[in-house]
Amino acid sequence: MKTTSDFPSINERSPDGVNGTGQAYRVLIVDDSMFVTKQISQILSSEGFEIIGTAADGVEGVEKYKELYPNVDLVTMDITMPKMDGVTALEQIVEFDKDAKVVMVSALGKQDLVKKALLAGAKNYIVKPLDRKKVLERVVSVLN
Amino acid sequence: MRVEYINPFVESAYSIMKEVLNTEVTRGDLYLKKSSQPVMGVAAIVGLAGDVEGRVLFDMDENTAIEISSVMNAEKLTEIDDLVKATITELANMITAQAVTKLHDLGFRFDLTPPAIITGQNMKVTDMNVEALIVPFEVPQGKVEINVAIRERS
Repeated sequence: MKTTSDFPSINERSPDGVNGTGQAYRVLIVDDSMFVTKQISQILSSEGFEIIGTAADGVEGVEKYKELYPNVDLVTMDITMPKMDGVTALEQIVEFDKDAKVVMVSALGKQDLVKKALLAGAKNYIVKPLDRKKVLERVVSVLN
Repeated sequence: MRVEYINPFVESAYSIMKEVLNTEVTRGDLYLKKSSQPVMGVAAIVGLAGDVEGRVLFDMDENTAIEISSVMNAEKLTEIDDLVKATITELANMITAQAVTKLHDLGFRFDLTPPAIITGQNMKVTDMNVEALIVPFEVPQGKVEINVAIRERS
């Protein structure tokens, strides 16, 4: 019985975290909260993204980006962090790689900083609390 | 203490907990206290300084903190570890950020400190010369009290 042609192929949607050639998108997560890092990491991993690095402050985020470059497709960047904030880290990453794809992750009430980040080259932003739909929607829009 | 300072915290706590815990949230009667108040076991404290000054305490017992963190992490957690502390910190962060946005819209200007987590038994909090307003919330994971002591800077 040719089941494949008898049933609609609802399960054949390719996961969001994989590009046209079947390669997983590689993500660096920069956030000082262990909780948020884990949350983003779980959401993205479940869609086939590969988390290739995490950093707990802006300084470490910039270092990790330079280390991983060019084998990194996307960065999620918290705004409020110790040592170096996310907007400064974004500026340094964009200065190093003008095509860097950085998505800001922000608490509510940081509109001015989000705006500054978008002007400095961030590709999109996500406002917390995070949920699966919100994270995937924004991340995917940046990669496509 | 003026009620304008309190409402944004009450509304934000209600909506954020409802969203991240995906559950019904019930608010109990709020009350004012001038003397020392007991702290239940796990408390996140955020300081405010600017046009108004004071602090907000998010207070719950250990079990409630563990249960709330389990829901927010979608996994069963069993003790007050770094992940539970990070999760409760983030909960306090989200509630405070939303409340402060509302207060900024009302014209109040002030800065916040990052949340600190305090854990332990038999603790009390005392605010000299400022009343604390306590707003109890019930969620399926337990009781969470938002304890706000704010005054206008003289």
